[in-house]
Amino acid sequence: MKLRSLKRCVAFAIAPIAAASLMACTRSTEQVAAEHGAIVSKYCTECHSDAEREAGLVLEKPDLVNLSAQRAQWEKVVHKLKAGLMPPPGEPRPSNEVVANLVSYLETSLDGSAPKPAGAPIRRLTRAAYGNAVRDLLGFPVDVEALLPPDITSNGFDNVSDTLKTSPLLLERYLTVGLRVAGMALGDTNLGPQATEYRPRLDLSQNEWVEGLPYGTRGGLVVEHYFPTDAEYEIRPQLWRATGSTVRGVEGFKTPFELQILIDGVVVHSAQIGGADDDALSNRDIGSAVTQVGERLPVRLPVSAGLHTVGVTFVMKSFALQQKILDPTEADLPIGNDAYGWPMITRALVAGPYASTGSGDTPTRRAIFTCQPDGSTRDAACAEQILGQFALRAYGRPLNERDRETLRDLYTRGSENGKNFEAGIQLGLARVLSGPEFLLYHGVTEDGAAAEGSSQDDGVTLASRLALFLWNSIPDDALREDAIAGRLADPKVLETQVRRLLADSRAETLVTDFAEQWLQLRLVNSKSPDPRRFPSFDDNLRRDMLHETEMFLHSVLLDDKSVLDLLRADYTFVNERLAEHYGIDGVFGDAFRRVTLRDPNRRGLLGQGSILFQTSVASRTSPVFRGKWILTNIFNSPPPPPPANVPALEESIAGNAPHSVRERLEQHRKAPVCAACHSVIDPPGLALENFDPIGRWRETDSGQPVDAKTTLPGGIAISGPSGLREALVNRPELFSSTFTEKLMTYALGRRLEAEDMPAVRGIVREAARDDYRFSAIVLGIVRSAQFQQKARLPTSAAQTVADNGAPAASTGDSQ
Amino acid sequence: MFITKKHLSRRTVLRGAIGAAVSLPLLDAMVPAASAAPPAQLRFGAIYVPNGIRPEIFTPVSVGKLELPPLLERFVPLRQHINIVTGLRAPDPFGHHVIGSLWLSGGSAKQTQAADVRAGQTIDQRIADVIGRDTPLRSLELGIEGINSSSNSCQFGWSCLYLNTLSWQTATQPLPNEVNPQSAFERLFGDIGSAEERAARLKSKASILDSVIEATSRLNSKLAPQDRSTVNEYLENIREVESRIQTSGKRAAAVGDTPDAPAGIPATYDEHVRVMYDLIALAWRADITRVSTFMKGVEASSIGYPQIGVPESHHIVSHHGNVPETMKKYAKINAYHLSLFGDFVEKLRATPDGNGTLLDHSLVMYGSGMGNGDQHDQRKIPIVLAGAAGGRLKGGRHIAVAEATPLANLIAGLGDVTGLDVGKLENATGRVEL
Repeated sequence: MKLRSLKRCVAFAIAPIAAASLMACTRSTEQVAAEHGAIVSKYCTECHSDAEREAGLVLEKPDLVNLSAQRAQWEKVVHKLKAGLMPPPGEPRPSNEVVANLVSYLETSLDGSAPKPAGAPIRRLTRAAYGNAVRDLLGFPVDVEALLPPDITSNGFDNVSDTLKTSPLLLERYLTVGLRVAGMALGDTNLGPQATEYRPRLDLSQNEWVEGLPYGTRGGLVVEHYFPTDAEYEIRPQLWRATGSTVRGVEGFKTPFELQILIDGVVVHSAQIGGADDDALSNRDIGSAVTQVGERLPVRLPVSAGLHTVGVTFVMKSFALQQKILDPTEADLPIGNDAYGWPMITRALVAGPYASTGSGDTPTRRAIFTCQPDGSTRDAACAEQILGQFALRAYGRPLNERDRETLRDLYTRGSENGKNFEAGIQLGLARVLSGPEFLLYHGVTEDGAAAEGSSQDDGVTLASRLALFLWNSIPDDALREDAIAGRLADPKVLETQVRRLLADSRAETLVTDFAEQWLQLRLVNSKSPDPRRFPSFDDNLRRDMLHETEMFLHSVLLDDKSVLDLLRADYTFVNERLAEHYGIDGVFGDAFRRVTLRDPNRRGLLGQGSILFQTSVASRTSPVFRGKWILTNIFNSPPPPPPANVPALEESIAGNAPHSVRERLEQHRKAPVCAACHSVIDPPGLALENFDPIGRWRETDSGQPVDAKTTLPGGIAISGPSGLREALVNRPELFSSTFTEKLMTYALGRRLEAEDMPAVRGIVREAARDDYRFSAIVLGIVRSAQFQQKARLPTSAAQTVADNGAPAASTGDSQ
Repeated sequence: MFITKKHLSRRTVLRGAIGAAVSLPLLDAMVPAASAAPPAQLRFGAIYVPNGIRPEIFTPVSVGKLELPPLLERFVPLRQHINIVTGLRAPDPFGHHVIGSLWLSGGSAKQTQAADVRAGQTIDQRIADVIGRDTPLRSLELGIEGINSSSNSCQFGWSCLYLNTLSWQTATQPLPNEVNPQSAFERLFGDIGSAEERAARLKSKASILDSVIEATSRLNSKLAPQDRSTVNEYLENIREVESRIQTSGKRAAAVGDTPDAPAGIPATYDEHVRVMYDLIALAWRADITRVSTFMKGVEASSIGYPQIGVPESHHIVSHHGNVPETMKKYAKINAYHLSLFGDFVEKLRATPDGNGTLLDHSLVMYGSGMGNGDQHDQRKIPIVLAGAAGGRLKGGRHIAVAEATPLANLIAGLGDVTGLDVGKLENATGRVEL
């Protein structure tokens, strides 16, 4: 006890508030605790009393000696104090120095008594991970979004093991998909036809050239499609047609339009739409015109097995013919009954194979067949070699005798005792792709799972965890081989592997899976502004916004910069359209490029359209949503839900109310029941009022000058977006801690508990020495006890503790 | 839409004036002749719409004989086939988060973001326990959106599972909604293709399942009891798949060749909803399943409806703040949903089944878990009951229960109508006499 209190004193002595702390050293631990307790009693217990229990937190008669007894509660206190969210605005608050002193005391004490944390649970592959893994195993993309049900998001991410439940529906789909994928890989000529649908969004302008298609074309789409066998395939485009009306482009044009279908850039089909005959027919009989035009569009043709690009587009015509050229809006939306623009493609189906003639010679087949059957007794050994090699890669671990037995059995059944070699291989592949060894406990042997807690991590599960974290896929050969050889136990090898994985293109999933979920970027695709108020908005702009943020995230994370750059970087990526949207001069053309931002308001994520747009409602900004987004994603303090039976926010004011959003909000905040939360939620959002609902800069709102002055939690007065950004960057540990917590949740596939916070603080402290560089945080997580610990199957053990009041026996939880 | 089966007509069919602008299969024309249902089996359906309906526009003016308010205009020709139930109160907690999950049980849910989700077994599943046992598919759960595509409001300590689920097979087993019509179609028919092709694939599936069940059982027997939950759950589910596949196999011969599935998820909401309704009618008609639920949007859905002139988010519009223009939009969305449902009821009425029509033998509950969405009002929730439930339910009535009668009482009443002994339901204080 004495030794521990001495240690605390040393820790205090190096804290910023050294003088006060050194004095504390002359007192006993109990005295120090009592002094901090007095602060808590003075400032916190009016609301957090036994009687009030605000937010379910009781701080009456606080025990600051034995903090770990109520670890979760004190971690909450630390969090709120560091973020400046408590005490709430309007209540008396201690000086910043006193708060810092208290936080330092709480953190040091909590860190010093941290128990052994839980590890990463073994978890089912998510739909996205399954798709990535199949691509890495077989070398072709599988449209998992069409084939498999989505995963449920929990704690902001879809890979949290708790909610990765299985259901008969899910398993049945994995089984069906496993069989189909195995058939595709081998080019099974009995494979039934399937239609894959590709579609551009309806509000994508199709009057411009689309990247990936030849110049001189306009609109349409281009996709990479895997054709499983040498066979006939049908490509069927579909054109926009307003309800009850004719196909767009059929009426009102004297010269016809030409639609083209291309495979690998070569025109394989063209069809005419419109012109005098179509016009006349459509005027007479819409139904016949629609049918006739529809019948001209599809083509059925032989295609060789393998990956090919499929394009569907129109030959460019002179803009002089485009009716909408005089339209003052930039957008080209098929709204309502607008049937009279140029024709546009709403979707393209690729269906097949029909009448397969052969399996073809694909890279996938060449990789699978490492030996060839010769009809002799050696075939079974060849099959075992092929399936064993595939299973090794899919399971990410050495096979045991039972695995081999299973695969032999499947080969025997599938091949009908060796009569049909490929059918046997196919059934074996399908078994591997739909079995629990791949889907459920990847990288873990049955024995390993059963011997949970009794042995050290053998490195193989660590490799699987690493690949899921950094690639959202399975280990490649190099990683798996290091793991099987036990080399990952060497910190140098581990670091080299982490850096290699981060440098690989598969690490892009850290942007597309991790960062996009963290920042809720997927919301951008599900929102549309009011088209009457924002006629310039279309899907091209929506895509540009997302593309900007993706490139930006890539440049910070994967080019290994400080994560603080996410808030403060003085550059972004734009094309002409987006540059114009932001008011940036001198950018021409569709290609994105890096530009330096001279306007400090535009810098960092908070100046990007993707964030500003997703936090607005259809017709106006929402400082509430923006504030909530900042509290959630930057402070990691999501606000509580609105209380029962209170009129909804802002909209509750009738037409004769004041005009600007800010004024409406201020009126709303007058109600005390609303003010409690909104005095915290709204201010950061109000600072962004200079950005309109689609992210353009504005000086006025509804005719009144924008007032973007506000006071952040903690009493920091700021003005405008750049003021907000400076205030956030001035407290780097706040954002970097949130970032670390989010990344660690994603890495472990479980939510973080109070017991994990000492490790988070350790990682952040360590990363601070390297200016919060991304790789420093990644390595910190990889080296943490949480990540290194032997994987375990998710269980109800935690619940058992709670139910019995005693730890569950022999689960290895407390090792 | 492709018709891949060789001897079926390759022509696609254009929908009528109300329908989508895109060609769709006439699914009901594709029901194999051999699979006509045995006479007069009860079918049960539940259709959920998110974000509530204002009671002021939903509640008929008089009690007893049904007089339809303008909102329900679509049901004028169907008046004798529906009942309106008003005055019910949805269970706590208030808000969007769990009300969908409690709508068919009237019970309570456990507040958690972890794996230990818990809500009551829903009435559709109680019914499926009885009438779903000898059909190829015990029940069919359909939806329109995956949770990640819509709202982000499942965070206040409630798992997203609650927001996204209508049907609970047991208190701890939520049933996910299938949103892809093609996948749903494949489930209904076991698989697609000729009888021979399907038999071959079923055989492959059976071989894989054998091997998977064996490996998983082996693992399960080695694990400490508390480590088994995940593996156990997996094992139970994979066994359920096995039994489904076996039933499908038995049925394969009777069904014969199947029509092709609709391709992918339809481009428009209208088309998507219609094809899902069509699938339910098809499944009922062919007696592949007798119990179906359908969520026309996850609770708090932010789908916009440009096709009816309301491009804004449904959720945002539901918080209308008593602004007349917004209330009008909110009502427009409600009327649109009701008219799509009306088309489905019409289809059931037009489908012969045994000695009557499908509608005669069905009981379909339609509604939402909120009254006025502006205040998340859990009182006066809108309920339509369609179908005669095999003659056990008389139509053309407005059943107004005492204000704030628990929803569980209606669920108990549905149990009575379907001949089920539901016992004492959580939160029930009696039963609504139907």
